[in-house]
Parts: sequence; structure tokens; C-alpha cells
Amino acid sequence: MDLENEKIGPAYIAPDTYFKESESRLLHRLGIDVNSPEATVPNIEVIKPEVVLMKVDTSGIQKRARKQDPLTSKSVGVYKELDAVGKVEIAPLTFTTNENPEWVNFSAISEETSGLVESLNITKVTYGDLLNPLDETMAKESAESETSISEPMVAESVELESIEVESAEIETLETFEVTGSAIEEVTAEEILVEAETLETLEEAVLEPIIEQNLESTESIIIHEVPESVGLDELESYIAPINATKAPIIEEVLAQEEYQAINLEAPPTAFAPIAGRQKESATPGWLGIAASFAAIVAAYFIWNAIQPPKTEEAMATELQQDEPTLIESPLDEPVLFKDTIPDGLQLVEPLINGEMPNYKEPNVYTIIDAKEMPPLTKRALQDLEDNGLTTFDMEDEMFEELDFESL
Amino acid sequence: MSVDTAIAKNMSEPKRLQNLSEDELSLELVSAGVSAILFIEILRRYQQQIYYHCRNLLLSHDDADDAAQNTFIKVWQNLHQFKGESRLRTWVYRIATNESINLIRKRKPTIDFDEAQPEMAEMMSEDLYLSGDEIALKLQKALCYLPFKQKLVFTLRYFEDLTYEEIAVLTSTSEGALKASYHHAVKKLEIYLSVLR
Repeated sequence: MDLENEKIGPAYIAPDTYFKESESRLLHRLGIDVNSPEATVPNIEVIKPEVVLMKVDTSGIQKRARKQDPLTSKSVGVYKELDAVGKVEIAPLTFTTNENPEWVNFSAISEETSGLVESLNITKVTYGDLLNPLDETMAKESAESETSISEPMVAESVELESIEVESAEIETLETFEVTGSAIEEVTAEEILVEAETLETLEEAVLEPIIEQNLESTESIIIHEVPESVGLDELESYIAPINATKAPIIEEVLAQEEYQAINLEAPPTAFAPIAGRQKESATPGWLGIAASFAAIVAAYFIWNAIQPPKTEEAMATELQQDEPTLIESPLDEPVLFKDTIPDGLQLVEPLINGEMPNYKEPNVYTIIDAKEMPPLTKRALQDLEDNGLTTFDMEDEMFEELDFESL
Repeated sequence: MSVDTAIAKNMSEPKRLQNLSEDELSLELVSAGVSAILFIEILRRYQQQIYYHCRNLLLSHDDADDAAQNTFIKVWQNLHQFKGESRLRTWVYRIATNESINLIRKRKPTIDFDEAQPEMAEMMSEDLYLSGDEIALKLQKALCYLPFKQKLVFTLRYFEDLTYEEIAVLTSTSEGALKASYHHAVKKLEIYLSVLR
């Protein structure tokens, strides 16, 4: 077939209804109205970057990983809990373990790292801190530390109108610091604030500012977390910093009050825990070999202690034995498998040329016996006389012999 | 402009676009910008060609339908990037070819495009919209014994009537290499067709 000159048509022919249906399906997917296509604007997808609330600086943090929670046997992704806190960008974690890094020990985060301004504010609270009731001073200090991370507040945002002003002299207010972060100097024209008024101003204004900042920043406290706790339980260890005292503290305190050291023996006798047993130095195969030897020894012993059988019992046993000769069914036809007759089966290998040890008889043809030395001739004659070899009768060597004279 | 004039213009706009040549349509696209009317005109003009092109490469109707749909979705999304530097048909064909290749890779990630895929011939025995022409069907089966690149060149040249220049732009290959590839494909197909008979 000459494809260059013979044009072969297409192998597929789709009906027009398919193309119309396909067109309407496509336009529907693209949101194009066929009746008023002018109103349609190309849908160009613009990928908007996600708003990142804070960056978590994980550099220098020593992380530990656990493959599986021994209690719940659950595995949860790292981002799951952190997403509940807010949009948090996490730097790639580096684990120094060969295990599957599904569990992260947050208690290993150092305070230096958690206190960084650009990192998520994670405050570690130890168990001892939980036992001590938090006084107002501590709460204020923590609030101040939280406020220092947030954006510096400008005094212009403070509503000063509600404060009573006595006179209208122009004076520069003293710069006052709000929990470590400097607030810009405010020049309030026509305002004179006395020292007492200033204190009132601090108390009246700072508290709402602190509360607002605490609400705006996702400040959290992560209580000291045991190593076996996974991310799914981590939520119970996280609490907002302005939250009320956790009820678990009271429960722990109550439990500690009730617990008294009981020196009496338990009502039932328990075996004391002996500690971890050392592994035996005996190899495992020795036990298997010993058990096998015991079985063999038991077999021989069992045979040795058996009483000797009587002749009758032996005869009965022999009679019960199955005959060794299996009677062949007589009605089964005999099939001749060999094509060679029975008489010639012995020479069958010869016929088929399958005798590997078969050798041709030692018949030699000596063409030119005249040139043979006489000693050789004599030796050959001796060989033939003793039946060790046979020479061709056509050989000239024997022509000299006179058979009639013999 | 009164409302009646605007409606009349909207009604006559598709007809005007239908009468445009390919180059004029490309010029219209570059000068006037992207519009849904223009896209519908491009869709109606190239829909069948793109479907058959994808069908020749993919053999399966469902796959060809998917590839054609994805092709025109990408045409719609990237129509504003068309600068008129190549022909509009070549541009659309290139998108369709890429979509077909992506679909083949999705079906068989370990595929080697330098080797033939004879197992694909079994897919087309019972499928939709076959013409029933036995010789055409044999040719399609014989195409499965070609490496994908030769098959692509042969399909574009033989069935779609693209010029070597267009195919060179589409496949980013020189025209000389394309001609040699097409020649080899024709010779192989002739042998295969004689064997398949």
C-alpha cells in the first residue's frame, strides 16, 4: 500500500450532537453564557498569598519525635493543631531520629527561642508554677511581656477626650512606657495633666489596651508536656494566657491533700517487681536441640521397655500385612510399546547404535607390508597367532604364506 | 450608541467573526483583546479538529474528550497571553498535544515516548464513534507500533494536514528532522499494514 498516494480516511466520526453537547458542557464549566457572551469576563485565576499571622522560628530547637502514641495509638499531622491557633508558617523541621517524625515534644522548646519577638509567643509553665497560685503581679508581668511583643501603641489612639482637664496650658507630657515598649511622646495642646491625673490615666487606659492586645495576638500558654503526649492531646495543655486558672490545678491540689502515705501491706499478696530481667546468655538453638534429643531418647527408652512379642502375635501381624505383590488386573489389555520383536530386544541397543562400550574388532589393514621390518612382521604374526588381533586377509603380508603347505 | 444598535452589533458580531480568516482572527484577538465571543468562535472553529487530534493520539473516546475539554479550558485561561507570534491553530494544537501527553503520562507514568505502545491497539476495538472503515482501523492499529514522536508527526501531517513549518513550531523540531521522521513512519506503516492484512 502506498500511503503517500492513497489517502486513508479517518477512523473516527463523531456526530454533531456530540460536539454541540461538548460545547455547551465546556461553556457551562467556564461560566460563559452563550446568549450574552459580552458580559463574560475571562476567569483568570490569581493565586493570593495566604496571610501569615506569625512565623514560628524553629531554628535551633531541639525536636524529638515519636512514632506512635502508646496510649491512644493515634497519629496526627503537625499542622493540625497549629492551624487551630491561627495561620502559622512553620519552617521545615529537622529531626534527628530515624523514626517516623509524627510526634513532636513541644516541651523541648527552649525559653530563649520561645521568647523571640518574631516567633510565636510560647510561654512555658512548669508544674511547680501551676501549684503556686498566680497572683496579680505575675499576671500583670506576663501581660506586660505579651504587650511588649505586640505592635507599639501610639498614644494618639488613646481616647483622651474622656479625661477631665483642668487648664489649657501647653505642656509636653512625659513619655511613659507601656510594659517595655516605648510610646511616642505626645504633645497635647491645651492640656495640663497633673501627676495624679497621669496615674489615673495610666490605670484607666492601659488595662483596656492590654486586654485588646491579648485578644488580638494569639498568645497561648503551653504547659509542660510529658514526652508521651501526642499532638491530639496537646490541646489540653494549651490555654490562652488571659484565661482563668485552669480547673486542673484545683484538682491536682485536692488530690495532693488527700494523698497520704500508706505504709501498710496491701490486702493481697503481690509479687514484688523484681526489676528488669537480664537476657539469658544461652543461645536459643541450644534449647531446641535439647528438646529434640529428649524426644529421641524417649523413643528409644519406650522401645526398650516394651515386652517381647510372642510368636503368635508376630504371625498374626505378618498375616495382617499387606501383600507386597500387587495383583495386576487381568482384563487390562497388554500394550506393545516396542516396535522391535521380542527376540531382538536384546540386541536392540546394537540396532539403535546405543552401545557406548562397543568397539570395532581389531582388524587392521596393512597395505604395504613389504616395507615393514621383519621384526615387526614377526611381532604381528605372534599377535595374530595368539588371537590378539586379526589382520586383513587381503593384506599382502599373508600372500607369502602358503596355506596349502600348512 | 442606542440599545438597538448595541443589540444589533452583538447579533452580527459572531457572524462577522465566522467570516474572518485565521490570521484575521488572530489579529482581532491581539488588537481587541479577549472576549467570550472570540473564544466561542475559536472553540467552534477548532473543536472538531482538536477532538480528532486527541483521539488519534489517545485512541479512547473518553480520554480524547477529557483532553479536548482541558485544552479549551486552558485556551480560555491563557487567551490573553496569545501575542500572535505563532498561528492560532498551532497554538491550540500545541496545548492539545501537551494535554494528551499529560493524560498518557497520568495513565502510564513509566511510559517511554521513544518506544511503541502496541498494547494500545486493543483499546480501540470497541469504542465510540468508529467510522467502520476497516483500512482506517488497521491504520490506527498500525500507528500503535510507531514510537510516539513518529506517530505525532504522522498524525499531524497525514490526518490534520498541518504543514511541516507548523509542525516544526508545534513540536520544536527542525523541518528536516520532521521530514525524515515522517518518511520513516510512512515506510513502517506500509510494512505493518501489509503484515496486518
